[in-house]
Amino acid sequence: METLESEYEALLQFLYLAPVGIVQAALDGSIAMINPLSAQLLMPLSRDGSLDNLFDALEPVAPELRNLVSQFPQAHGTVCDSLRVQLSAGIPGKKDARMLSLTVLKLDDSRLMAVISDITQAVKRERQLKQSEAWFSAVLTGITDYALMSLDPSGSIESWNQSIARVTGYSERAVIGRQISLFHSPGAITSDRIADRLMEADANGWSLDNGWCMRADGSRFWANTMIAPLSRDDDLPEDERGYALIIRDISDKREAGDSVLRASACDYLTGIANRRTFFEAAELELERWRRFPRPLSVVAIDADFFKQINDTWGHPAGDEVLRNLALTLLATVREIDVVARLGGEEFAALLPSTDLEGALKLAERFRVAVESQRVMVGGHEIRYTVSIGVASMDSQVSGMDQLLALADSALYAAKKAGRNRVWHKRADHVLTGPEDAAA
Amino acid sequence: MTQLAHHPFAHPELLFVLASASPETLDSLEFGLIGFDADGMVRQYNAVESRAAGLSPERVLGQALFTHVAPCMNNFMVAQRFEDAAGAGSTLDDIIDYVLTLRMRPVKVRLRLLSDPAQTMRYVLIQRAL
Repeated sequence: METLESEYEALLQFLYLAPVGIVQAALDGSIAMINPLSAQLLMPLSRDGSLDNLFDALEPVAPELRNLVSQFPQAHGTVCDSLRVQLSAGIPGKKDARMLSLTVLKLDDSRLMAVISDITQAVKRERQLKQSEAWFSAVLTGITDYALMSLDPSGSIESWNQSIARVTGYSERAVIGRQISLFHSPGAITSDRIADRLMEADANGWSLDNGWCMRADGSRFWANTMIAPLSRDDDLPEDERGYALIIRDISDKREAGDSVLRASACDYLTGIANRRTFFEAAELELERWRRFPRPLSVVAIDADFFKQINDTWGHPAGDEVLRNLALTLLATVREIDVVARLGGEEFAALLPSTDLEGALKLAERFRVAVESQRVMVGGHEIRYTVSIGVASMDSQVSGMDQLLALADSALYAAKKAGRNRVWHKRADHVLTGPEDAAA
Repeated sequence: MTQLAHHPFAHPELLFVLASASPETLDSLEFGLIGFDADGMVRQYNAVESRAAGLSPERVLGQALFTHVAPCMNNFMVAQRFEDAAGAGSTLDDIIDYVLTLRMRPVKVRLRLLSDPAQTMRYVLIQRAL
């Protein structure tokens, strides 16, 4: 008996010390067994301070999990493999963005096993590799069609060749001397963003971006654009430095890789960006802000009385409201803005080159749009409202985590003041409601 | 020292009484206790905690608390608080709600975190939530 007892103790200790988190849960997420590393990683996320349910604990950062499990068709198998879950934005150069990896196995019709590990360091190394990979892929993949042109130091197009006409449909006269925003739809690029990309090209040797471009006839195509400095000679006077711009139509590739890309970058329910994509975009935008401060705002949005909507009309109705919220938000912002579902009924929008006033106007427009419409679910008309918090970047704000926290505290104030309203945090960090803002 | 058994979990002077208490006295406490030194090595481990975790003291004493004994506390909610207090040279006496994974079951507990720059020993006290 003594051997059995000491073996049991050794097994316990083995699990206590396992350097990965292991959880066994029921299909509804309720936790049956859990080891210490799981608690280390999950406790800081838990909203109610308990670890009774795996889905609840991960809801703020991985709201899709409950759905992934309930929609999983097979009797057993891998529900998700190394799903990346972003915990914090981090501060570039100071604090790493924290990231968990989550694998969930369905064992049978009553049990799940989850493996959780902290991949913060691995992700950091991977990011450093990603940039050079993007470069190689741009150089090595068979370029079927591309437009190549040279830009002057301010980013205006200065030379003409037939490749521009082939890809974009523009004539020489329409192109020479124009800004490269010509190739983007309105709202998809700002003059700040063009300046950013030229600066990034100077600093890194290139600037790569994937996004929608527009032809002369107004039709859109998914493009990879690369800007590279034509001369890296630092002695050259600034007005003689120019850039090369290559636009590649990669519409075919986008379709091929689209579903995989969408699954990892987008929220499963609403189709807009997920938490991880939002923080990636935010981090890049903050880096740009640090190099060259300019207006930058964040809007935090929360559906009012969402629990009541779920309780009254059922979860499918709740899901429909979240989808409607995402679509309405998408229709309110510009293409350059990033809108995302951060978790549960929490959404956010990142607004580059937008000051507090502009962000407040947009938020109010969105609030009114939501209030004045109905969502149809199963023959019922549901109305809902949103509370919104707005904050803008300034030198007092340390990073995206804090900027979001400011917007969140304004959102909380909007909730407290009665919901269905927009509050903001002024630069001196005083909370201000709609009445004061009008003054 | 026998009256230590009457010291409740939240007693204000607990830290100073614990440091000089005998192992027998610590075993008579109604809550779990882990005492560790400035290097994070476990030096005291009482019977309540040993029973709850299913580990005998020999497996735990002399081990690093936050990496080898209770990795579940190695985050900003617990371990970081001790580090911050030591770094600032200030006292720490916080009670927080937490979940421990005793024998791999999630168990709601209240933790009392105790340290003082004048004391070599630091403590995590564990009370099962009611």
